[in-house]
Amino acid sequence: MAELKEITKKLKEIHEKIKAEIPWEPIGHTPMPEIPDLRSWDMKLLQTYKPFYAPFCDLCCFCTYGKCDLTEDRRGACGIDIGTQQARFVLLACLMGCSAHASHAGHILDVLIEKHGPDKKINLGTSVDLEAPNIRTVLGLKPETLGDLKIAIEYVYKEIAHLLDSTHMGQEGSCLDYESKSLHAGMLDHVGMEVADIAQIVGFNYPTSVADTPLVDLGWASVDKTKPVILFVGHNPATSTVVVDYLQENNLYDKVELCGVCCTAIETTRYSARAKVVGPFSRQLFFIRSGIADVIMTDEQCIRTDMPQEATKAGSAMIAALDKAMYGLEDATEQNADEVVKKMVEEKKHFAILDPKKAAEVAVKVAMTIAPQRRKEWITEQEAMELAKRCSLCGMCEQVCPNLFDIGKGISEVAKGNFDVIKEIFNLCVGCGKCEEECPRNLPIFKIMQVGASKETWKMRTGRGPVMDTEIRTVGAPITLGTIPGVVAIVGCSNFPDIRDIAEIVDEFARRKYIVVLTGCSAMVAGMWKDADGKTVYEKYPGDFDAGCVVNIGSCVANAHISGAAIKIANIFAALPLRANYEVMADYVLNRVGAVGIAWGAYSQKAASIATGFNRLGVPVILGPHSSKYRRLYLSRKEENEWKVMDARKRQIVETNEPSPEHLAYVCETKEKAMVMIPKLCIRKNDTPQGRGIKLNHYISLYKKYMGGGLPEDLPLYVRRDADIPLVYKKEVKAYLTQIGWKPKEPVGLPTLIGTYPTKVPLDSVIH
Amino acid sequence: MSQLAPSLPFHRVNILTGTRTARLIEDPVEYAKQIAKAERPLLVLGPRLMKITLGGRLLIEYALDIAKAKNIPTCATATVKSKMVELGVKPDSVYDVVEIINALKDPEWKGVRKEGNHDLVLFFGFRTDLGEQGLSVLKHFAPHLKTMTMCKYYYPHADFSLPNIRKDEQWKNILEGIVENLKKE
Repeated sequence: MAELKEITKKLKEIHEKIKAEIPWEPIGHTPMPEIPDLRSWDMKLLQTYKPFYAPFCDLCCFCTYGKCDLTEDRRGACGIDIGTQQARFVLLACLMGCSAHASHAGHILDVLIEKHGPDKKINLGTSVDLEAPNIRTVLGLKPETLGDLKIAIEYVYKEIAHLLDSTHMGQEGSCLDYESKSLHAGMLDHVGMEVADIAQIVGFNYPTSVADTPLVDLGWASVDKTKPVILFVGHNPATSTVVVDYLQENNLYDKVELCGVCCTAIETTRYSARAKVVGPFSRQLFFIRSGIADVIMTDEQCIRTDMPQEATKAGSAMIAALDKAMYGLEDATEQNADEVVKKMVEEKKHFAILDPKKAAEVAVKVAMTIAPQRRKEWITEQEAMELAKRCSLCGMCEQVCPNLFDIGKGISEVAKGNFDVIKEIFNLCVGCGKCEEECPRNLPIFKIMQVGASKETWKMRTGRGPVMDTEIRTVGAPITLGTIPGVVAIVGCSNFPDIRDIAEIVDEFARRKYIVVLTGCSAMVAGMWKDADGKTVYEKYPGDFDAGCVVNIGSCVANAHISGAAIKIANIFAALPLRANYEVMADYVLNRVGAVGIAWGAYSQKAASIATGFNRLGVPVILGPHSSKYRRLYLSRKEENEWKVMDARKRQIVETNEPSPEHLAYVCETKEKAMVMIPKLCIRKNDTPQGRGIKLNHYISLYKKYMGGGLPEDLPLYVRRDADIPLVYKKEVKAYLTQIGWKPKEPVGLPTLIGTYPTKVPLDSVIH
Repeated sequence: MSQLAPSLPFHRVNILTGTRTARLIEDPVEYAKQIAKAERPLLVLGPRLMKITLGGRLLIEYALDIAKAKNIPTCATATVKSKMVELGVKPDSVYDVVEIINALKDPEWKGVRKEGNHDLVLFFGFRTDLGEQGLSVLKHFAPHLKTMTMCKYYYPHADFSLPNIRKDEQWKNILEGIVENLKKE
């Protein structure tokens, strides 16, 4: 009885928070879900897509009983085994990522509420009525003002604390429960990201409800180094937007060059299309060491931890503008701005300045003062040759390279006057600087690499924010029927095996009429390639969310608009209620929305949480080879697994023998293999024969292109009836199917997992 | 020229894996003996085999020589199948590297020839970071099998590994020696 009272009280509190009295939709089964509420859904996913652990280390060194050896079935002093330890690590990574976005969201929300007030209405333009699909689905709240977003972010904070608690020694003892918690953290991450980007769009008046956003300059060569240059590094636009305002208010915008690395660059171009995008995270150190930036302003996430030292080496001034990274610098927030300028110019001191207005004033004044005194020239080929002659070819640089290439070979060729190798190598460089640190002769390798770096400039379409409801109405049917073969979401950081891979993947799938969307560093590097006509993918393909498009959604936090688009398909196109109805949305996406994420250069913990959030929503993710270091994948075994679903029309559980999607989190080694996996992971049980035929056409065609001809080994698993066979390969496929004794099978009328596992969600909920 | 420690990972990103590290073998006779002892070996081929040449031959040709010498079934990962087709060889199986490792983890899996799971798995031609992570999976979760590497780097997570080899000629001799000795076994 007491327990029932407690539950009722809790539910009442939740209903108050989500404003249950506003009847925009009936409230589903999981408003503001806590850890156990979606656990059954997670366990159902994990039954098919079992965690695959690749331990980085044999040991656990978390507590004072350890280090504990976890090899050969040994358990740690607390009782933990090696699999559970990996799962704990993954949860920690997801929580770091989720916290980064949530904290960014909370901070920017406070800044914008201070500026506009909590009652500032959320208005995402005439084409976006469903403004917050993640918040509505997860919490059951329809946010109408900036103040409402606080409710969402406070929910995320509370859950993060609860999840983090479970990683303390001696608690959770099941890897599957840790995975369920990681999936929970991933879902929360999409809520946090959505809060951040909605707040930014509303508060900074970013573009929204428009596809044709401005094309902005991309590449370091686009930065006019004859002017004072201010470089923004990080993710949070709280300061960069104020710098833009300061320049405009003081009629200085023509006199100072603004540029950015990583997501702050994307954010700043959403605020002012005159800002320049230097490039992704992997070009951060390279650009800083070029010395082109007169002032470097850091905010949060994805900024190097040795920024003050690097700034000093390059002769740049540096301001830490957010409390999350203060680098041990003196806090000058309360000091007189002109005094701070004086110290920065004369004493070459760096400062933390947490008041954006003061930081902006100081940055501009310092940049304008020191720029005329600084030499900002690239190294000449002759100078590079002279430096490179000191290389002894010891090989130490190769041994520490995370991308495993031989930089020494490039340097030695520079010494001979051959710059081709270093140009090629520069495309593989992930920009960590370990080679230079390790060099026994202290060669300035990054400086030498300037001769290999392209001086080309490109165009990137600036981030456009949410996918419009009107677009979803157009593409909802073709996506779920399969006639648009898939949505390919290329997201995440720049730890690429080769920076050119992204543009190639984008071009291949846009040409094949997939919907291609991008965010973050991947959105930048997609633009760093031109076709024979001199066009980037942003100039070559349209920016509206439709077949054959290339859409830059925005920065990392804009990833919530991609998961949001998948939810919108279920809600707007299929008319399924989304309010506090996470399982129904995720089930719909898993079984009917042919979407796949590509995190080809995943590097940060944020990438881990973003991907895991997509996984809980039923979107599979392909990761690049470095991502095996995340320690965990979700893999099925297509021959051994059961592939049962409920046919909701017949109300029968049926064995489909169809592994769609085959994996949820998958690593592959080469872009060619990724190209073959992408069309396969877009296959869904709901495909019509026409849609399946189109999807198989791409799968077979890419298989033939990259796998040396023939037909995919698992093709028979995806052919349900003759009508599924693509016309162009009909003869070959039919001959093969006959040869192996393939038998046709009935397609499932309305595939769902609801009804196949214990859940409060009734089967009728998925019938629309 | 810096010192090249034979039994520390060449690429430092893989350094210090923990308590259990591979047995380093540089004698092709002993390497071949270990392979010959296996009842159901498997050779897993990675995409680097298609890019690297050694003594004027592609590395994949050495790999196929090893397979042929002892009738070892092959698993083509990534897009290796395309090169095998070009060379007129049909792989016994096609899986990506994480998929074959996932199957190998299962002691009940029937193997690529349906004769039971493999007792020795040879890896050849992978990025060291991905290869090392894959070997770690099997070290921890597949006690029913042993692993071996054929690349010129030391792989601590394997059961048997070659040392870090600076000179290609030495590596070539070892690979050719393994083939010769397998033929004799």
